[in-house]
Amino acid sequence: MGNKALMNENEKIQILKDILFAEDSVYIEKIAHRLENLESTLNDRQKFSHKVDPIILEQLEEFKTSIPTTLGPTITAALKTEIKKNKDEVVEALFPILGKMIKKYIAHEIKLLSEKINKQLSFKNRIKSWFNSSSTKKEIIDELAASNIEQVLLIEKDSGILKASYSVTETIDEDMISGMLTAIKSFVEDAFGRKDQNLELIDYELYHIHLQSFNRFYIAVVLSGNYTTQAKDKVQDLIFDFFENLTKKEDYHTLNTERINQQLAQNFGHADL
Amino acid sequence: MQISKKVVVLGHFGVGKTSLIRRFVEDSFSDNYKVSIGVHITKKTIEFSIDESVTLILWDLEGTDDISQIRESYLLGSHGIIFVFDVSRPTTFQNLGKDLISLKEKTNEVPVKIVGNKSDLVDAKELDQVLSEKNISYDYITSAKTGHKVNHLFEELAKMLAINA
Repeated sequence: MGNKALMNENEKIQILKDILFAEDSVYIEKIAHRLENLESTLNDRQKFSHKVDPIILEQLEEFKTSIPTTLGPTITAALKTEIKKNKDEVVEALFPILGKMIKKYIAHEIKLLSEKINKQLSFKNRIKSWFNSSSTKKEIIDELAASNIEQVLLIEKDSGILKASYSVTETIDEDMISGMLTAIKSFVEDAFGRKDQNLELIDYELYHIHLQSFNRFYIAVVLSGNYTTQAKDKVQDLIFDFFENLTKKEDYHTLNTERINQQLAQNFGHADL
Repeated sequence: MQISKKVVVLGHFGVGKTSLIRRFVEDSFSDNYKVSIGVHITKKTIEFSIDESVTLILWDLEGTDDISQIRESYLLGSHGIIFVFDVSRPTTFQNLGKDLISLKEKTNEVPVKIVGNKSDLVDAKELDQVLSEKNISYDYITSAKTGHKVNHLFEELAKMLAINA
C-alpha cells in the first residue's frame, strides 16, 4: 500500500515535472542532440576538417601577414647575428650556388642572342657555308684544338699554400707554382686597386690557367689546347661542382689532402671538354 | 704529419735576403721575375722525424728602404716573417723599431725573427757595441757567405711553426 502510494507520488512528481519543465525537456533534448552531433563531428575526420580548416587557414593567413611585424625583427636579428658569426661559412656555401645561377643566367642570355643572330642569317648563306665545309677536316682541327686539363690546384687564398692537386703531366714543384700564382694574382689585383675583382685567366701560348676564387681558397686549372667559351663553361661547371661537394664534407675545415686529391682526380680526370 | 708554412723574408735593399735563402735552399731556380712582381718563391722541407716535417714556402720580397711600402697582399696568410738587416750598413737597421711597428700593423700576431746578416764583414766585438749603442735587439746574426747560423735560423723557425701548427 505504502509502495503504491509512493509510486503514485513519484508518478505525480513526474507529471508535475513534465508540466512545469516541459520547455526544459525539449531544450535538454535539443542539447543532447547537439552534443551527439558535436561528438560525431569531432570523431569524423572529414567533418571536423570541414569545420576547422577554414578557421586555421584564416589564422595562418593572419599569421603570415603579421610575421613581418611580429616575428620579422626577431628572425632578422637572429639571422644577422648568425651570418656575422659565421660569415666565411655563409659565403663559402653560397659562392658555388650563386656562381651557378649567374652562369645559367648568362648562358641563357647568350643563347637568346645567338638565336637572334641565327635567325638573321640568310638561308642562302647557311646553305653556302654548309656546302663549303669539309666535315673530316673540321673534325681533325677540332680534335687538335680541343682543350685538355693538365693540372688542377686547390690553393689557400692568402698564404698561397697548396692544399691539394691533380696533375696529368709532370711540372716544376707545385708548391712553388701555387706560391707564384698567388703572388701574380695578388700583384694584378693590387695593381688595379680593386680588392673585389679577381684575376681569372692567364694565357701563355698554347696553355691557359683558369682561376676561380672562393672565400678561403681558389682553384687553378691549367689547360692546353684551344680554350673555347664552351670549354670554359664546362671547366667552370666542374669547378663549382667540385667545390660544392668539398664544402659539404665534414672534414672541410681540416681538409684531408689525400681525399681531396682523389676527389680532384675524380672530378677533373676524365672530363670531356 | 707534413705541414706547409709561408715565411716572408723582407728587409732593406741589398741586405742579403736572397743570399740567405740561396744558402739554405740549394736548388733555387731563376729569380729574374722578382724584378717584375717583387717576389721570388722557393721552398725547403725540414724533416724532424720519419713522419714529421715542415715545408717552408719562402717568399723573398724585393728590398725596400721604406718598409711601410711593402705590398700588403704578399704578407697575407704568412705564418712567420724574417726581417733581415745588414750589420755592415747602419742605415738598414737604424729605424728598426719603426720598421717593426709598421710591419706589426700589417701582420698582427705573426712571429717575426730579426736577423743581422753579413757578419763576415764586421768585427764581432765592434758589432755588439754598435748594436747595443743603438739599442737593437735581434734573434740571429748570420752570414750567408760563410753559412754562419743560416741553417740554425730556418730550422729553429720551422720548429717553432710546427709547434704552433
